[in-house]
Amino acid sequence: MTRLRLAGAALAALLAGCAASPPLKDGLPASAPRSIELAATPFFPQEDFQCGPAALATLLVASGVEVTPEALAPEVFIPGREGSLSLELIGAARRHGRLPYVLASTAEEMIAELESGRPVLVLQNLGAGPLPVWHYAVLIGYDAERNVAVLRSGREERVEMKWQRFAGSWHRGRRFALTTLQPGVIPRHAEPGRFMEAAAGLEAAGQRRAAAEAYDAAIVRWPGEPLPWLGRGNLALAEGNRAAAADAYLRAIELAPHDAAARNNLAELLLDAGCLDESRRQVERASALAAGSALESSVADSRARIEATAKAVARCQFGDRAWPD
Amino acid sequence: MRIESFRRACVALVSLSMISLGMQAPAIAGVVSTGEAVSAARGESPRAVVDATIARADVQGKLAELGVDAAAIEGRLAALSDEEIAKLAEQIESAPAGGDALAVIGIVFVVLIILELVGVIDIFKKT
Repeated sequence: MTRLRLAGAALAALLAGCAASPPLKDGLPASAPRSIELAATPFFPQEDFQCGPAALATLLVASGVEVTPEALAPEVFIPGREGSLSLELIGAARRHGRLPYVLASTAEEMIAELESGRPVLVLQNLGAGPLPVWHYAVLIGYDAERNVAVLRSGREERVEMKWQRFAGSWHRGRRFALTTLQPGVIPRHAEPGRFMEAAAGLEAAGQRRAAAEAYDAAIVRWPGEPLPWLGRGNLALAEGNRAAAADAYLRAIELAPHDAAARNNLAELLLDAGCLDESRRQVERASALAAGSALESSVADSRARIEATAKAVARCQFGDRAWPD
Repeated sequence: MRIESFRRACVALVSLSMISLGMQAPAIAGVVSTGEAVSAARGESPRAVVDATIARADVQGKLAELGVDAAAIEGRLAALSDEEIAKLAEQIESAPAGGDALAVIGIVFVVLIILELVGVIDIFKKT
């Protein structure tokens, strides 16, 4: 019997890993409620290996999208891996018009999301070391007095996990936590760079209207940031609205005079509009600004193309010499 | 003969769809995409477009190998940025794939057996 207990203890230690997290009430921000439970969060019991689609459906339905795990499975499930990858959960959320935002890896940020009424999708590693068991669940609440996390998980509608156990499994799950936002909503703790990355992802996925709402919200939240304006300009340009694109690029340049991206795109816009001289002037400036930066080669490409166009349409070199009718 | 031409049409269609996969470019060619500017602002160097096109084809092949329905692959990849596709190409076989919590029970059993075999514990003893 003692042996069995010892073995149990050894196993528990193994499964809990070495990450020691404090009890919830020690880490709970003073302003946060002692307990939250988003009881209205829907529940989709998962099929075999389908915790990805089930957890994502839980989040999407909670954010107002009509979808089922069965509809999501063909968008995220990988039979050969018997599971789903977080990148593809992100892609699927975009396809359904939501802005998937990967939270910075702190419990505080998850708690802030719960406070805002949004459940959080988490990746847990329920195994340890060489035997990982990856599982997606949805955090819907916590109780600091009883020191538990409350989850929708797998086939169970409501699972209570001791907070340290939950936090440990999440640490071993590489602290992946995802929220799916209605475009235009920005989490309380969001950083501009991380949020803009998420919004640009929507744009890359072709969700232009949703991306525009996200950029607009970012402009309001971070009025000093040039990137949302760049995004606005790129969207306008993609839709063929040159005037709006020019205005947006000018705002971006005003906010960040040394930023090469907006200048480069302004030069491209001017080229597209047939304003060659001005386009050349802007791209030369962009090229000087981009020297040594990550954008150097992109700007060099633009410059080469603009120069080539300029050469092709250069003025007649014969001056006013007359030619036969 | 008819089957042959049908096959040819199929091949043409599939190749076309593969080519169109790589064309996610903005309306004007040389524009720095918002995503590229965001990563540049964070000090990350953006990956070349050529790499992204190769990575897309690469991921497409791998997903098909892993049993994903060919018809669904295009839509799945269209929802990701070039950078994400490149990441996926690197990690598709190794990244955590969240699946089933039930497997835990099996793993506990395996661990118990291993511990038993190496003599750390002795719970499966024959009386």
